[in-house]
Amino acid sequence: MAVIDTQESAASQLPPQPAMTELSGNLGFLSIIHDPSGLLGGYLVTNGWGRPLEFRISTAIQPNRVQQILYGPTLTDYLYADLIGKALVEKSSTAVGMVIVDQPAALPLRRRVDVPVVCISPAPLQLHEPDTEKPQEYVSLTHPRSSVPLRWLASHASDQPLIEAILAKVDPSLDLSEPFTRVREAIGEARKLGGIHRAA
Amino acid sequence: MQLEMPSGGPFVAISSDWLVADMTVESIELGYELSTFPHPRFERPLIVSIRDSRLLSSPPWVRSLGKLDLHVQTEAWKFPAPPPEFDRPPPPRSERAPETITNRQVVDLPEWPEDTESPAEPKRRIRPRPTRDTVVFKDRLLFLLQPPLDGLFQGRSLGVPFEPFPYQLEGIAFLMPRHAALLADEMGLGKTAQTILSLRLMFHQGMIRSALLVAPKPLIHNWCRELKLWAPDLPFEVFPTDPELRRATWHVSNCPLKLINYELLTRDAELAADPRTFFDVVVLDEAQRIKTPGSKTASVVKSIPRARSWALSGTPVENHPDDLINIFEFVDPGRIPPNTPPKQLKALTADSILRRTKQQVQSDMPPKLIRDLTIELTPAQQATYTLAEKEGVIHLNALGETITVQHVFQLVLRLKQICNFDPRTGESAKLEQLVNDMEEVAANGHKAIVFSQWVEPLAAIARALERFGPLQYHGRIPHAERIPILDRFKNDPNCQVLLMSYGTGSVGLNLQFANYVFLFDRWWNPAIEDQAINRAHRIGQKHPVTVTRFISVNTIEQRIATILDTKRKVFNDLLADADKPATLGLTEEEIFSLFDIEARPKRNGSPPDPQASQTCH
Repeated sequence: MAVIDTQESAASQLPPQPAMTELSGNLGFLSIIHDPSGLLGGYLVTNGWGRPLEFRISTAIQPNRVQQILYGPTLTDYLYADLIGKALVEKSSTAVGMVIVDQPAALPLRRRVDVPVVCISPAPLQLHEPDTEKPQEYVSLTHPRSSVPLRWLASHASDQPLIEAILAKVDPSLDLSEPFTRVREAIGEARKLGGIHRAA
Repeated sequence: MQLEMPSGGPFVAISSDWLVADMTVESIELGYELSTFPHPRFERPLIVSIRDSRLLSSPPWVRSLGKLDLHVQTEAWKFPAPPPEFDRPPPPRSERAPETITNRQVVDLPEWPEDTESPAEPKRRIRPRPTRDTVVFKDRLLFLLQPPLDGLFQGRSLGVPFEPFPYQLEGIAFLMPRHAALLADEMGLGKTAQTILSLRLMFHQGMIRSALLVAPKPLIHNWCRELKLWAPDLPFEVFPTDPELRRATWHVSNCPLKLINYELLTRDAELAADPRTFFDVVVLDEAQRIKTPGSKTASVVKSIPRARSWALSGTPVENHPDDLINIFEFVDPGRIPPNTPPKQLKALTADSILRRTKQQVQSDMPPKLIRDLTIELTPAQQATYTLAEKEGVIHLNALGETITVQHVFQLVLRLKQICNFDPRTGESAKLEQLVNDMEEVAANGHKAIVFSQWVEPLAAIARALERFGPLQYHGRIPHAERIPILDRFKNDPNCQVLLMSYGTGSVGLNLQFANYVFLFDRWWNPAIEDQAINRAHRIGQKHPVTVTRFISVNTIEQRIATILDTKRKVFNDLLADADKPATLGLTEEEIFSLFDIEARPKRNGSPPDPQASQTCH
């Protein structure tokens, strides 16, 4: 009986990773906030020293009671990663080498995109693997570009060389946690000007 | 069988189906006719159909649960990209030239020990903010999403020789989002650096692609020097004197930043007003040049097609309503309606003016700040200087082995005197700038000291600065008059400038009420210069002292300055106690190296002390 090497099969399922020399030095900062109108996301793409290249914002979404019941424990994962995160990242016209998120709930976005996704939230990460009650495992990295450790899914532990290569290109003047302040301010400004409409 | 009838009645037997055999029934007379009882619920026939679900879809039996699927929409904004020359990756740290401080000196003050008990305050970030009149959402986003300025210049991408002071970062944050701005900081606070860094950032952000800087002719070279210092990656060119080349610079050249002086700009009035000549930003240095209404300079400046208008001035223009109105005719035409009362000017212009005084920012500044101001000689001075240097070197070489340091000394002194004043015409580029600077000093209510190694220049300077109440203090002043002169300088508000020679003014005086020191010409020994400077910069000085050293460009002064700066660094590194100056004058070889001289004296004994041959008081 043939024995399937689980490691090989797992690796073959990962998307092909770009060569180190082809890495984009651009960074994507994804923040999803929760306000009375629902969940909405802001996505800022910058170059290596923080100059803004593109900003994208999603409409607010508020799941109703039936949706909450039907999606159950998968709702958070679905909203943060599949719905909001994926829409913002994939629709962006500017390529990035890495996506940085400020909430652990957005980390599963890594399963939907082809670039590493790291989290800088200092809060304890309490997520579960999909469709299981098993706690999600993470990989942690301390780096001068961030005031808090960077963490990403253990299922994508092989992203580490990529992440380190991208971080080496980041200008020392940029702290990875700082752009989220700008994203939240920009979202607030958009809301003030009525630029965000709630989606069903 | 007898039916046992329950109580109540009457009872009507509708059907006999339930009657069983052997059951006997007794008829009972009811007394009325039987008939059907219509019931509203059954008015229409009950036709049951599986396909007819109206009943099931009608309330209150069922209600809608809403849509089950979720979707979002996104909206995006892309920001301008800079020209390719500004979008290159930064050099690796190992390839960068070692950092050298060229013209800024900071006094090393003792640091307080860190307070570990009180909680650390969050660091205040300095960021450009959209102005009130920025209404387009994309424009507001562009500034909201800018990275903080503090810390930005510490990286590899936008390196600078030394980090700007916090108030300077706020000045950059003020300039960047504004289409109309007047930066009116006091002299010595770094308006030049703030402007250059703002332009540099905006080029890198892709916000602007072309800029024009207009400055007084003596300061053009200084701007070039500052540009190389603060923005080495920003290409610039100076408008040439040749008219045809100038025309090409106006219309053909695509250099991002162009520099021109007021005189040349006035000559090129038609070219400047040509619609093909458009600049994203036009900066006026010493903007009080256009305060005279109806002057050709003001007219030409206002006719330049531009998107942004920035003006720099060290004088408190807000205290002179007419000057402010005329400057704003360039900064923001139409902002100030005709016949506006002076009291309303502040409300109309407050958002476009940024002025800081030394007193306001002294916590950010070091107690002593030295700035080198490179001055271009006037044409007459330049011609005299060139001829004198050429003839002098020929003469020195002709001396052969009989040449001594004294011979070289004499040539150096002669050339330095020409750098001060042209002996034939009396012209002085330094004096023109000094008069200009004194306007600012006096307008701000401060006092200044001017040092020179000769007495004759002090007399000429006194005549030019007559309206500032100059007092002289040098060796030719009788001793009995010296203390009253110092008292008068201290107490008389009309006496705003004191002219001193290095010899008499360097030792034993306390003049800490003067905030500005001008070194009209420099001394051989940096320690003696420091003593002169320290007449103002002493304990008890309430405000930071700005020291301006005039250096004539492409002259012996510039070569001496390079040597002296190196010696000063050695002095600062090795000798912290400045009360006893070390003998750090120029050595013999250093003196000979000032010129292209082949001849050298015979070596017999130690070289003479250059200071012994100084004709100063």
